[in-house]
Amino acid sequence: MGDISVRMGELVASADPAAVLVSIGLGSCIGLALVDAGAGVAGLAHIMLPGPGDPDGRPPGTFADSGVPALLHEVKALGAQRLSAVIVGGAQMFGAGGASDAHVGARNEDAVRAALRAANIAVVAADTGGASGRTIRVRVGDALVTARIAGGSEMALFGRMAVVA
Amino acid sequence: MRTHYTEIELDALRELANIGAGTAATSLSMLLGMPIDVTVPTAAALPLADAIDATGPAELCVTGVAIPLDGDLTATALMLFPEEDVATLCDLLGLETDSEYAASALGEVVNILCASYLGALGDTTGMTIGLGPPEQVVDMLGAIVGSILAISAGAGDVALMLDSTLIIEGRSCALSFLLIPSAAGIDGLLGQLGLG
Repeated sequence: MGDISVRMGELVASADPAAVLVSIGLGSCIGLALVDAGAGVAGLAHIMLPGPGDPDGRPPGTFADSGVPALLHEVKALGAQRLSAVIVGGAQMFGAGGASDAHVGARNEDAVRAALRAANIAVVAADTGGASGRTIRVRVGDALVTARIAGGSEMALFGRMAVVA
Repeated sequence: MRTHYTEIELDALRELANIGAGTAATSLSMLLGMPIDVTVPTAAALPLADAIDATGPAELCVTGVAIPLDGDLTATALMLFPEEDVATLCDLLGLETDSEYAASALGEVVNILCASYLGALGDTTGMTIGLGPPEQVVDMLGAIVGSILAISAGAGDVALMLDSTLIIEGRSCALSFLLIPSAAGIDGLLGQLGLG
């Protein structure tokens, strides 16, 4: 089965062991992976803005404040119980005062972490900040979460072994 | 919040992009001493994720030069250069691709194109448009466009992009010039054209 692309504002949950959830080119956006390795369930949200915002008529992962609970609902509906969170992205692609400033990346990360705290979910790994875009990949079958920057190599952030340990 | 634009409004915006890109092409032609063609611009209001896809493959490594606009038009002008186009442009300008001058020359080219494009837009609409300093990054296309959309179009649920392509004749080099207005910026443009 091919990669399932999770584009800006979208979220996907899966219990298919062959599924790979991918968000390509996260800049200031956050890729949030929620995984329950024991249950074989994982979800990925590609969050664009911290919120608060009205998610009506927009993809459910657009805002951190509504997107995190929405992803949580989806993975729980598939049977997830013991969830771990991995967050990737939140870069500042352009310098201070520039086109895309306003520190959206950092504010996105703060908002996602706050929403996870409110839901009592621990962030077990993160690759965030800096100035480079990233791609996050979540392999549902073995709960392997990887991140890669442009031109770089893929780096494992989380996997089933870490859960066992 | 506007989520739809009529065909008449999009046609008017396309015509504005046409005038802007035509003027920018003339400037580029004078700079390089080569003929430049301009394609018919596209103007489309798309959901944000589709807007990124419309600019190209998200994982493609590109050089992006962004110029924030202010004054009567809040928008971001963005040019995206695939690696081979950076090399072609540097070659035409007589610069080594990896030299310290290449990056600043690229920024300057974008500055000149933006100033011509937006000067023409300002003359046509009577708007005063200010240009901020160009910022340049090399990264994945999706990360660059997504980060700009989050700011420029984040408040709306669709992004409106005016996309013009400048083609350097005889070289396979096509420069994509994107104008990404904020929701207020689009209404301002349409208002000036009597369509607001």
